[in-house]
Amino acid sequence: MKRFLNLLKKEIKELVTAQLIISLAFTIILFNFIGQVSRKEVQKAIGVQTISALDMDGSPASQALLKGLESARFKILDQSGKAKEQALEAAKAGDSKLLLVIPAGFGDSLKGLRPSEIETYSFMRTFSLIGARGQIVVGGVISALNNVLSNNFLKDKLPEFDPQSLKNPIKSKDYVVVRDRMAEGSAGTVAGLISQQSLLIPVVLMMIVIYSSQMVISAIAMEKQNKTLETLLTVPIRRTSIITAKMLAAGLVGLLSAGIYMFGFKSFVGGIGEEAARAGAQAGGGGGAAMMRQLGLYFNTSGYIVLGVALFLAILVALAIAMILGVLAEDFRSAQNMIMPLMFMVMIPYFISLFADINTVPLPVKIFILAIPFSHPFLVSQNLYLGNYGLIFGGLAYMLVVFVVLVVFAARVFSSDKILTMKLRFGKKKGATA
Amino acid sequence: MDNVLTVRGLKKSYGKQMALAGIDFEVRPGEVFALIGPNGAGKTTTLRIIATLLTPTDGTISFLNHDLHKEPDLVREKISYLPEEAGAYKNMKGLDYLHFMANFYARTPEEEKEFVDRAVEITELGDRLRTKVGTYSKGMTRKILLARALMTRPVLAILDEPTSGLDVLNALEVREIVRRYVKEGTSVLLSSHNMLEIEFLSDRVALIDKGRILDSGTPDELKERHQAKNMEEVFRSSLR
Repeated sequence: MKRFLNLLKKEIKELVTAQLIISLAFTIILFNFIGQVSRKEVQKAIGVQTISALDMDGSPASQALLKGLESARFKILDQSGKAKEQALEAAKAGDSKLLLVIPAGFGDSLKGLRPSEIETYSFMRTFSLIGARGQIVVGGVISALNNVLSNNFLKDKLPEFDPQSLKNPIKSKDYVVVRDRMAEGSAGTVAGLISQQSLLIPVVLMMIVIYSSQMVISAIAMEKQNKTLETLLTVPIRRTSIITAKMLAAGLVGLLSAGIYMFGFKSFVGGIGEEAARAGAQAGGGGGAAMMRQLGLYFNTSGYIVLGVALFLAILVALAIAMILGVLAEDFRSAQNMIMPLMFMVMIPYFISLFADINTVPLPVKIFILAIPFSHPFLVSQNLYLGNYGLIFGGLAYMLVVFVVLVVFAARVFSSDKILTMKLRFGKKKGATA
Repeated sequence: MDNVLTVRGLKKSYGKQMALAGIDFEVRPGEVFALIGPNGAGKTTTLRIIATLLTPTDGTISFLNHDLHKEPDLVREKISYLPEEAGAYKNMKGLDYLHFMANFYARTPEEEKEFVDRAVEITELGDRLRTKVGTYSKGMTRKILLARALMTRPVLAILDEPTSGLDVLNALEVREIVRRYVKEGTSVLLSSHNMLEIEFLSDRVALIDKGRILDSGTPDELKERHQAKNMEEVFRSSLR
């Protein structure tokens, strides 16, 4: 144990370099900075917005329109009394997002049931999506005003009818059924929320796999390149201990790095997401979570444990593959290329799950996907929701078997001549040292 | 007294390529036994097999009456191997490297300190041991690696080209260190191209070519047998 700890300490020290710490710190600072900037921009976009209005009509209808905008958290800068060009210049010079021009005769047109026109001049000072949000909100307000005005008209002309029933004679009430549970809502919303939740799994998995595998492959390749491996293999420590120490060190540092990256990523995404969610809640939304809970589409403690085990097994499999690939790499540079096949193996199930349902693809494709150990953490979350426990535990058992087989193979490689003689060469005959 | 190492009928092939075609030799306690031969003769393969890095295709190796193939962990406790192109961890300080390696062999902290103190004495690098190995010259790196190999006073030190790439003064120092440790009881199995080194260091020599031992004996015996003035002439004569 003393020898193993001695080696583990050295492996961790070799991995936790000043470059790694600086890179992680820089990432956190960068993500945090972008997150802060994004948060401010979103706050600006969903906060009180300043618009200029030129009311050339002055009728009760035009006043009602402006009041409607004020109640929708718009700050109105009144440009009344100015010519359109003057109002445009004044609005452009200030920080108004747009100029709203209500032409003369607006109220009369409404009364006479003729289409009434208003003009909006948006000042595009930025081309970001958030920057264009002001215009979208104005569109929403105008639509709401159209609704109110048409309702008033219908109430006036046909008082015995409900204006909503007249405008929308057919109504639909949507329900979603998942297994034996039912909730009111649309299937589109459920699918959207599930894909939003499952997005985190491949991101976490890819991060950890990239970091840890790169570390293991590089650790072996560096031992070869620096000619330290031969000496290490002759010291009194079991070969399995060497493998375990390298895998454990890479796993720990990989988990830590991925955790730090995810923390940074969360503060970046949170910058946009939290504010947008707050705005959504204020607008009366936020029923999605309740619907998901009603449908049983959420993880309880055991669900999280199963998902954690699946991710952990996937990481172990990746580390074992990386260990074998590291033996094949001649030096640090070739080790960098060795990571590619592993990356593809992680990305294939992710991309397939984006475009197709793994349960409905043709059998050969399904077998191919299920044969990739990294597919199972993706499938676990969906299968947990659907209660397919056979598939979940089958997947976990499969990953465990693959891991054991790979570790046994890696240990055999380490205990044999292959650790010194096995090299992946392209277009060259295999040779050996004499 | 029993041999430290007894090698009988040792064969090794890499696929169809035969590296060792059946060699026999033994290393006695407190002696330096040298393998000399041209490039690709099978010297490094022999040393790597004895250092438990490679498995032989055939033959037996007995180390202190233990089967090397069956008990590699026991053998690793008592041998040390210095490969020809060995390196040390460049990000480690010299002293940390010595502590790291000593930790594998020492049973107590006192023993670890004893090993490291001995290594510090061998290297004669003083305060430079507090700097990173990556900043060392080739001679300094070789000295720290030799110190690592000898600090535990192994029963058998396997040294592959111990002075390879060193200048005259560094090579001389390394040879003196090896000689000193042999006097203190360590047996040495080495390979070298340097015939001067062989004459200076070795008690007995085996001439190896194409995986076979052509001749063996003390340097004086070989010179007499081949009617040669020095080991270079013995080498040339035995290869004809």
